[in-house]
Amino acid sequence: MAFLIRTIDFTAAGRELVRDRLLDQPGLTIGRAADNDIHLPDLAVEQHHIRIDLQGDDNLAVRALGTLGFTLDGRMVSDGTISLSTGGEIALGAARLAVAREADGSTSITIRQVTAEEGKGDALRGFALASVLPSKRAMSWAFAGAILLLLLMVPVASHLLRAPAKPDPTGKTPGTVLLDSAWTSGDLSLKHHSLQDNCESCHVAAFESVQDETCVSCHKQTGDHASMPRLAKGAPALSPGDALQWRIGEGLGKEGPLGCVSCHSEHEGPVRQPAGGEAFCSDCHKTLDKRLTDTQLSNAHDFGKAHPQLRPVYFASFGAAKPVRAVAGSVPVERSGLKFPHDVHMNARGGAARMAVSLGQYGKPLECKDCHSLTPDKASFKEVKMEDACEGCHSLVSGRGISGFTKLRHGDVKDLAEDLARISSGPRAPVSPVRQRPGQIGSAAPAYRADFGRPVRGYIGLSNALSAGGVCTECHLPTRGPTGQADLMPVNLPDRFLTSGYFNHEPHKQEKCTTCHAADTSKTASDLLIPDLKSCRECHLGASAAKTKTIVPSDCAMCHAYHLPSGQWSPKGPSPHYKPPPPAKPAVAGIAAKTKP
Amino acid sequence: MATRSGGKAAGAGRFTQDEKRRDSDHVSFLKHGGYRWLWIALALSGAAIAGYALIDQQPRPNGGTWYGYILGTIGLGLILWLSLLGVRKRRINPGVWSLKAWTSAHVYLGLSLVVVGTLHTGFQIGWNVHTLAYVLMLLVIATGVYGVAVYATLPASLSANRKEMTRAQMLEALTATDRQLEIAAQPLARAEADLVIAALGQDVFYGGALARLTASYPGCATTRALAGMGAESEAETRVAALLEKRRDQLAQVRGALRIRALLEVWLFVHIPLTIALIAALTAHVISVFYYW
Repeated sequence: MAFLIRTIDFTAAGRELVRDRLLDQPGLTIGRAADNDIHLPDLAVEQHHIRIDLQGDDNLAVRALGTLGFTLDGRMVSDGTISLSTGGEIALGAARLAVAREADGSTSITIRQVTAEEGKGDALRGFALASVLPSKRAMSWAFAGAILLLLLMVPVASHLLRAPAKPDPTGKTPGTVLLDSAWTSGDLSLKHHSLQDNCESCHVAAFESVQDETCVSCHKQTGDHASMPRLAKGAPALSPGDALQWRIGEGLGKEGPLGCVSCHSEHEGPVRQPAGGEAFCSDCHKTLDKRLTDTQLSNAHDFGKAHPQLRPVYFASFGAAKPVRAVAGSVPVERSGLKFPHDVHMNARGGAARMAVSLGQYGKPLECKDCHSLTPDKASFKEVKMEDACEGCHSLVSGRGISGFTKLRHGDVKDLAEDLARISSGPRAPVSPVRQRPGQIGSAAPAYRADFGRPVRGYIGLSNALSAGGVCTECHLPTRGPTGQADLMPVNLPDRFLTSGYFNHEPHKQEKCTTCHAADTSKTASDLLIPDLKSCRECHLGASAAKTKTIVPSDCAMCHAYHLPSGQWSPKGPSPHYKPPPPAKPAVAGIAAKTKP
Repeated sequence: MATRSGGKAAGAGRFTQDEKRRDSDHVSFLKHGGYRWLWIALALSGAAIAGYALIDQQPRPNGGTWYGYILGTIGLGLILWLSLLGVRKRRINPGVWSLKAWTSAHVYLGLSLVVVGTLHTGFQIGWNVHTLAYVLMLLVIATGVYGVAVYATLPASLSANRKEMTRAQMLEALTATDRQLEIAAQPLARAEADLVIAALGQDVFYGGALARLTASYPGCATTRALAGMGAESEAETRVAALLEKRRDQLAQVRGALRIRALLEVWLFVHIPLTIALIAALTAHVISVFYYW
């Protein structure tokens, strides 16, 4: 067995020197001592460091002679085997001994000196993930810079540099601040949706909360619930946290807890601003009298449990200039100036019914709607006109004229007096055809005789009509005018009875009128037929009540609005705060049933 | 006598103290101080939830109520303090506030931010700078949780993969194989020699971050050379054997790379997103009061 020892050195000029020598023996030793077969002058190598022996046909056994091991194929060992078919590399100090089999069957050991690698530590750095990723610092700067630039600097700069414009309620003016849509905390409510892209229409100045002034610049018609000082006095004390927040907020220029935005909080999504709940009202109104000692309002918090009696307005005395509100607990006596027994007219078997049956325009006993018709907003009733509602039976026909029947005009006593005077003076007596006979002087010959008497007949006619038993006093109350002449009480009925709440007849139409209005038993017109709290409560209880077939849980907002109640039913201006729900769509089953033949 | 017994007592005390210190040196930062920071974080989260449930926030809970401002302030303070861990760990100083205590607090208080931050949002989420800050915070926390998890599990497999070799030895072994390959490949023809040149020329750390994380290297020149190497001559057989050796050695290196990448990748998200989060928080706080 032969070992070919090949030593590769470099001259000072860098030229490679290769020396070969052949050792024909089965094993060899390597070390620093000169008696070794391979002598390595390196202090890192032991005097007798390793021994290599042929093992079998194809393997070399390598073992350390001392306690210090050696590196075989990069691994530190003290004992190892080199397969000659693949070869191996032994590292001893700075020497690298490559072991391989030559073509002639001998084993070559090529010795080469390596210099310590300069960049070894750098090579190890390649194990870190940082070597293949951008540095954390660079990524941090990039992300933070992009966010600060796009989401802070651009909006702020464009806000500061813009030309301020007045708020545009139509929402057609586009916003001029760039990228501030990233600042929104949610969509605007449906009513404000057109302002979605124009933040600065509400957020006018930097670091200034939305001011009431800005809201009112569009919402000019909104009324105040009460004056600011009274609101503040009537409101209960804030919780310590809220009080502190408002104190800080107001110190920084925020409107107080009574400002618009403290209730009308925006950016809650594309919904309609919900009405305040029962608690919103009862916060103040539950114990309002304790704080607002001079208030005329009763405490209220739950319609079913604590709500004052309804107090309709009515005319308490004849000819009064203004109606008054009923005192809670009293039975109001209405002085409308009319006589009208509802029961007589509504009795299905009485005289009025018989008369109605005989008349073509009715054809059957009278019903409420024959006289009362709803206003278009369904909240109230149109004025009852005598000519339309009463005259069918209560005729004012006075005679037969050239063009048909003549009738007394209704509505003004002066017109009536004229019409009556015309009847009383009557047509003149025929002049010629009647022959005067003896003894008939003055009786049938008016041709040459004027009526020089006092106009008593005309006066008596008017006086009769206006006094008890006359045609007018069937419905009207007689009175005397300022100079003592006969006159009628003016008719006084309020346009609306419940003025501080909102009532719509439309959702109640499945009920009969007489369920709430006791007209069928009312004998005189002085009965005020506005239902009381008790009849409302047959169906309506407070918001916390359980909903059943007959019980409707009702919060305050069903009948009341926060801002001016009169705003609710004005024909112009904002829509009513309570709208009847749209008619329910027919269910699929219902449609299917209809299509069947 | 009195002094001796006193000294003895003092010695015993000192011993107990030292034992305690030695024990605590080997306690994980998660268990530090008998889970002290876990309990503090749980108390903070519990208090935040209780406050959210019990305090009537008008008109609805969000960041703008007084409770929302308190939660937001706590959250902002926590985020800024948590981000200071990077500063603290570079300052080697003794004291009660050991780095272990700091890390323990960092982990548990960071987790409690999920509760504080979520309650601060009032569950109002949208496409805006406010939700951006919230999402960044959640991502930072999620990567942190991942980091704690891999630090607990992966070092064992890293050590198993090493097979008692240092990283330098792994590279050294590869270099040794490469030198033998160069000698063994001398008799090869052009085509085969080119394959060996390509294999030797390819960087040990060839491949991007994704290749490292998945340990999938479709462009590996060693695998390609091995596939192209025939078995016609003895030289080719030898080169193939050496290439196999090289491939196995590379696999070990790449195994180490993969575990190392899994261990380190979270920091490459955690740190930049933390800085991005602080930027987003700045924009969030300023924008909220700019458009008050």
